[in-house]
Amino acid sequence: MKYGVYIELFGEFYEGTVFIYGTTLLLIYAFLAIMSLVAVRKFKVLDSRVDYTLLLNSIHTPGISVIAPAYNETITILENVHSLLNLNYPKYEVIIVNDGSTDDSLEKMIAEFDLIEVDFAYNERLKTKPVKRIFRSTNLAYSKLVVVDKINGKSKADASNAGINVSSFDYFLCTDVDSILDRDAIMKLIKPIMEETDKRLIAIGATLRMANSCVVDQGFMQKVVMPKQLLPRFQEIEYIRSFVMGKMGWSTINSVPNVSGGLGLFDREIVINSGGYDPNSFGEDMELVIRMMVYCVNYNIDYSIRYIPLTLCWTEGPSTLRVYGRQRSRWARGLAQLMYAHRKVIFNPRYGKLGLIVMPYNFVFELLAPIVEALGIIYYIIIIILDAVNWPYAILLLVFVYSYAIMISTLSILWDQLTYHTYKTWREILLLCFTAMFEMIIYHPLIVFFSLKGYFNFLANRKHSWGNMQRQGFGQAAQTRAITASN
Amino acid sequence: MLSFIVADSLFGPFFRKYFYYYDSYPVVIQIAVFLTAVAISATIIAYLSIIFRRGKGYLTDVRTRKINTFIDNLITDNIIFNEEILAGVPPQDVKLDLEPFQKQVFSQGWVKQALVDRLIYFANSFSGDRNLLFKRLFVELELEKLSFNKLKSFNNSTKILGLVELTSMSVAVADVLILPLTNSRNRKLRSEARIAYIKLSKNDPFKFFDDATEPLLLWDQLELFKIITTTEGLTIPNFARWITYSTNKSIVSFCLKLVVHYNQHAAIPSIVKLLDNKDHYLRVEAIKCLGKLKADDIEEKLIAIYNNQPLNCQIEILKAIGRFSTGKQIQFLRGEFIRTSDFDIKKNAARSLINHGRAAKDIVQNLIDTATADGAIILKHCMNPLIKY
Repeated sequence: MKYGVYIELFGEFYEGTVFIYGTTLLLIYAFLAIMSLVAVRKFKVLDSRVDYTLLLNSIHTPGISVIAPAYNETITILENVHSLLNLNYPKYEVIIVNDGSTDDSLEKMIAEFDLIEVDFAYNERLKTKPVKRIFRSTNLAYSKLVVVDKINGKSKADASNAGINVSSFDYFLCTDVDSILDRDAIMKLIKPIMEETDKRLIAIGATLRMANSCVVDQGFMQKVVMPKQLLPRFQEIEYIRSFVMGKMGWSTINSVPNVSGGLGLFDREIVINSGGYDPNSFGEDMELVIRMMVYCVNYNIDYSIRYIPLTLCWTEGPSTLRVYGRQRSRWARGLAQLMYAHRKVIFNPRYGKLGLIVMPYNFVFELLAPIVEALGIIYYIIIIILDAVNWPYAILLLVFVYSYAIMISTLSILWDQLTYHTYKTWREILLLCFTAMFEMIIYHPLIVFFSLKGYFNFLANRKHSWGNMQRQGFGQAAQTRAITASN
Repeated sequence: MLSFIVADSLFGPFFRKYFYYYDSYPVVIQIAVFLTAVAISATIIAYLSIIFRRGKGYLTDVRTRKINTFIDNLITDNIIFNEEILAGVPPQDVKLDLEPFQKQVFSQGWVKQALVDRLIYFANSFSGDRNLLFKRLFVELELEKLSFNKLKSFNNSTKILGLVELTSMSVAVADVLILPLTNSRNRKLRSEARIAYIKLSKNDPFKFFDDATEPLLLWDQLELFKIITTTEGLTIPNFARWITYSTNKSIVSFCLKLVVHYNQHAAIPSIVKLLDNKDHYLRVEAIKCLGKLKADDIEEKLIAIYNNQPLNCQIEILKAIGRFSTGKQIQFLRGEFIRTSDFDIKKNAARSLINHGRAAKDIVQNLIDTATADGAIILKHCMNPLIKY
């Protein structure tokens, strides 16, 4: 009898806690939706009359280093380097870090770009695996190109750090060599830095989208097409929600937790002083941004991190469950690792917004969410077995969560439509909205499962295998190329 | 609390009608039901907004394309292929036929705005006589009244639009109207007002430099620099005036850039005074400016202050010595190259030595022969024409 009372009390406590947890999360989403709408509309108004060509013709345009690590990219390396060399910006260098590729990508670059080895004064401010050689082009047309050949560091972080060591300018843009950048990406990203008033803008990002099914020619986006496969299409909705609503919303209160590794412009000095990318981290991009923020707080630097609601980068998302699972487990493991490493910052008022908003939100509502959900499912199963379910209430709660999730996704799609019509046809928009209805049923359980797997790997300290990721290529004859599962 | 009461009075009857047992639900379920209704409504509104916006966007595109074609044809016939202009009549003497532009269709606000936009577009695309004709047409059709009305608006975006229109069409605006806007709290408005002031003020286009309290952001500097260096007939003042007296650091920094552009050697004494400024970022700018002006008279002073400066100023002094290339400080540069363990100092000392050319050739060769492996690579790096930075 007493035992049953305890179970009942625990049940009530658990249900109440979960309800408060869920409602708080939904209120945060509502807050982000409102804030991002304000930010998106403001950006659109201000951006509509901006003359970006000012940057093209000015001698005062700041220089930018574009850093792109590459590992076994032989199939597309030449095309992608050509596209990076043809960005609309007058003063930049392209640093390709060949991270010990075992294929012929380096030989291909040497032949294509007339590269020769040079005596380059390499300043190892960030510790990396040894750099073997540095190449420059004898062809004036490729004078922006620097190719760094280094021993494989088994991580994108190590290669990026080598690129940062070689870079010459105060800001660097970090990307993946297989990502498709918008031609004006640098111009669009540097402008907010040049407009910052009283804070130091240490990192800025923009929206990333799925490149699966898009038509790409010579490394440039020719036609944006909605991913035809279901898994990339779910990821597309997730990216829209995450970038257009989430990160834009956080940006308005200067609480952006992460600038994506696919595209981000960083303050080089702060990155170096913060120690650069951590090669041992499984979420090196977020880890770096958190460390940069910690550094700024420790040294009383009034920093800001921003996002702009423009799609400036397309990346190919995993289209098979195996590759997707590996990616998400890695991300989840990276988050757990990050929270553990910076546990002293969580709820620490000394760190201002970082300690009281960014880290607590990511701990409570990102890290714990899959655990809370999994426990919820187990609890549901138990009370079903015990025949203790109040079905009408249970259905009402499920409808509530389901309708709210659809609302958030639909609003994200609407916000995206408010900025720029990425998708031109009605069919694509309808398909996107339709897919959003099934996201919670089909896609979300996958995220929960692979996140838990990532946490388990973290707790068990299991070795991560740097396996190959099968890529399909963009809107052309299907091709398979192997790259490290770094994204 | 009040919002709950209002929400209950608004939605309570609805829920009681359609959810018979609503009042008997636990509070948690009541909240869930209420939020479900909000979510479903918001989703439907979002769908409708997407449909409405896309539909409206499509119709606006069609409508604008149609009217723009109509306006472009009028402009082509009356301005671009204006017979008097083709016959060589000066643009101020050409008699403009306003009648086609005063048709009934132009009484609608959006069509009038489309005409303004097209005139600005053509004025920006043409120079010379036709550019003047576009501006005359703008004024004679009294379209500038629209722009002035926009300046009176409470909405900053509308004010900005008005300023852009008047600036694009070079319509004179009284200083009292623009000057207050050059210190507006709104960044974009402030920026546009400053551009407008420089382009349109007949008296003292740089007057706002005196009163600027808000910072001149790097982006604004880019815009202003272009306007100042490309506007015809602008009297360029001696920027030493603001370098000496302005308390706004961004104005001083911007003036240093202008001094370099206009090669104003008369400003050098004012710039030298900045070397004593407490802000080391400003000192960096000043040293850079002196280097670019090749003010080699102050080389000794730079050497004298070198050891008391932070790293960024030291690097800039080394660069300046390289730019001067007088040959008098070769031993100083050599000493710095050998002495320092800082990579950036070593690299900049090496680069400045190499900039001396033949005068430092033997010393550079000697350093290559005697330096450590890392030191020699830095020298070779700086000597390699394939490596720019």
